[in-house]
Amino acid sequence: MKTTQTKTKVLTANRLTDGISVWLGASGEWTTSLKDAFLARHEDAVAAIEAAGQTALADNRVVDVNVIEIEETESGPRPYRLRERIRADGPTIDYAPASAARVSQAA
Amino acid sequence: MTVIWTQNGIVENDPWVSDVTGADAPKLLPLAEALEHSQDNAPFGVVLQPADDARALAPILESVAIVALTFPAFSDGRGFSQAMLLRQRLGYTGELRAVGTVLLDQVPLMLRTGFDSFEVHHAPTIERLVEKRLPGIDLHYQPAADKTDAGTGYSWRRTAILNG
Amino acid sequence: MYRYDEFDHAFVEARVNQFSDQVARRLSGEISEDAFKPLRLMNGVYLQLHAYMLRVAIPYGTLNSRQMRKLAHIARTYDRGYGHFTTRQNIQYNWPALSDMPAILKELAEVEMHAIQTSGNCIRNVTADHFAGAAADEIADPRPYAEILRQWSSVHPEFSFLPRKFKIAVTGSERDRAAIQVHDIGLQLKKNDQGELGFAVWIGGGQGRTPILAKKIRDFLPEADLLSYTTAIMRVYNLHGRRDNKYKARIKILVHETGVEQLSAEIEAEWAHLKDGELKLPGADIAAINAYFAPPALAPRAEGWGELAAWKKSDPGFAEWVGRNVAPHRHPDYAMVTISLKPIGGIPGDASADQMDAVARLAEEFAHDEIRVTHEQNLVLPHVALADLEPLYRALLTDGLATANAGLITDIIACPGLDYCALANARSIPVAQEISNRFGDPKRQAEIGDLKIKISGCINACGHHHVGHIGILGVEKKGAELYQISLGGSGDEHASIGQITGRGFEPGELTDAIETIVDTYLANRTGAAETFIECYRRIGAGPFKAALYNSESEAA
Repeated sequence: MKTTQTKTKVLTANRLTDGISVWLGASGEWTTSLKDAFLARHEDAVAAIEAAGQTALADNRVVDVNVIEIEETESGPRPYRLRERIRADGPTIDYAPASAARVSQAA
Repeated sequence: MTVIWTQNGIVENDPWVSDVTGADAPKLLPLAEALEHSQDNAPFGVVLQPADDARALAPILESVAIVALTFPAFSDGRGFSQAMLLRQRLGYTGELRAVGTVLLDQVPLMLRTGFDSFEVHHAPTIERLVEKRLPGIDLHYQPAADKTDAGTGYSWRRTAILNG
Repeated sequence: MYRYDEFDHAFVEARVNQFSDQVARRLSGEISEDAFKPLRLMNGVYLQLHAYMLRVAIPYGTLNSRQMRKLAHIARTYDRGYGHFTTRQNIQYNWPALSDMPAILKELAEVEMHAIQTSGNCIRNVTADHFAGAAADEIADPRPYAEILRQWSSVHPEFSFLPRKFKIAVTGSERDRAAIQVHDIGLQLKKNDQGELGFAVWIGGGQGRTPILAKKIRDFLPEADLLSYTTAIMRVYNLHGRRDNKYKARIKILVHETGVEQLSAEIEAEWAHLKDGELKLPGADIAAINAYFAPPALAPRAEGWGELAAWKKSDPGFAEWVGRNVAPHRHPDYAMVTISLKPIGGIPGDASADQMDAVARLAEEFAHDEIRVTHEQNLVLPHVALADLEPLYRALLTDGLATANAGLITDIIACPGLDYCALANARSIPVAQEISNRFGDPKRQAEIGDLKIKISGCINACGHHHVGHIGILGVEKKGAELYQISLGGSGDEHASIGQITGRGFEPGELTDAIETIVDTYLANRTGAAETFIECYRRIGAGPFKAALYNSESEAA
């Protein structure tokens, strides 16, 4: 099959049960860290993650499944769109600082 | 699979079901055709689209055997108002059927606005309807076209007549 | 305030069970996301960028301390310790799990709260003047009528699948603090020549992609006809509102395309069939609902006058807070207190669980157990004795709730924007924070005076930018955030839609642009008594545009 070079893509979604953002990992698991996402570097790989996404959607494990484009950087994959960067890194603001501190202490 | 459901259960051999074919099968007529056939002796039914003015049926309602209102998508709620107009404004007492996209969770609202039969395609929905496990609420904050008891407290409240 | 009777309790319990069943069917895979989405939206559950979001209804923005404590408890137990008060007087949680929704709704039901119709194409939470029942200028309390509308619209069988969402606001004063002219239906309580109570009825206002001010279709609707007339409006809209394009589906477009005379004639014709029917409100029912909203018995506390004067003299910070955040009550010994949720550099409308608990405690101690949420994303204690203002202020200070900026440039309305919202194109909160920090100096704010900045992160206009004196709209252009500025909007009884100044500004230029606008106002005003909006209306957009853009046209 012919394979052309495209922008690297990853598959993202939100978990059905709690809505948390997830990315498809290399061994087919859904990970909460974009760093652990499987990088689809050619069309076949993109087709494979798209198919995996449709299966997971049909199995009601995730919702809002999307293939997004990322740039491979030294510190890991970086989505081109700000929206996807915020999904990966969380809100850009220091929300509820007191409570966040409590959560990290508990962890 | 397509079934016709009423509060008495599944209707076998319903003549008006939309996927029945054959020369003898009576057809639900669109509004314009129904108005033309109003002098016919044979019983006929009407199927309205959401943009049709239900009040146009006023002169021929006496000879109509069934009115079907179409829900092209669950989000298109015009049929609820058409049903209210048919029941309350025109005093229509015959069969009123919901066809198209009929969601389980909309059936209780459809019953309240005066529908009494439903053409259903979705298997889990059919299962719940057959088991009479309707996801409705028996307490209502507003009068509608269904038969209800007065609710407690205020004039606008109603309660469902259970097992009615 | 209104208290649930057995019917209400049983209804909400049934609704919780109904939604729990829907969630269970979704989690088991019996229904698809497509089928579930309208059901979850009808109960205020969105899927946002990072998680689900739950919007809890606060009918007409009225809460007691028990309810506020429950909101704090939910924030701690099911979320990340905070909540966000919205421009529709509701509260949103940003991180709840779908599987926890049934438990959250059960907890809410314990304190007579729910999330019914906080989203979806149905009649949404009915909003009202946040000073209702306390304001000195009030003709009648709008909340009883909002409560009647709330009940009547709950799980309405005919109006749950409208062309688009539908918002009703009610005000009881000439002074419009409920922004009725930018609602689908705006109701203004008034008395006719015979002294009977009724409403001026406005329809077709709204913001979003096409901002339009409402048109008055009735100068006086007797109160008994509230539900029949509203039904007539809703039915005409449900049958004729556009469904081919969601951006043209609100009633404002129907009014615009049909013409207000013709549409109002259709509504009147429909109403003629309904007005003497079963929706006519008996006087006894109106009186019974009104009785729930009887003002608390306010004992004379005349000693507060002298004490207040002395406290103000000895503490300039307190004096400043009283000057900005305290408004006259109809009882001369009392006041209405705005608790600002806009700390300098903070997130507009956010409150931590601890702050919610603190407000609950203070409402019990000083404010007859009443709390309001404002559409400007602040809280209000509507009945506080002047004699209690100083201890209340001290307590608010320790909880970071005594920012003296109500109505000032840092009292910014902002939607959640791209930090949370799946619809947003640009961030709103960091923009608000930077402006707040820039103008945070109390002296500078005071010099600028009344000025409303409103920020939306997308064209849906949840941040009400169209009616901001300065409105900011975030857009995405070539993958980057860009902000359009509009000037001259207003959401009060002199409502107007802001006009865009010109090209947008990058995030790094925006606060400077706001400063340029403010400086232009300060240079042009006739004196400190002329507010920003008055000055703008007098001199027009020209001087502001010149200040914003002239240097670049000279450079070009």
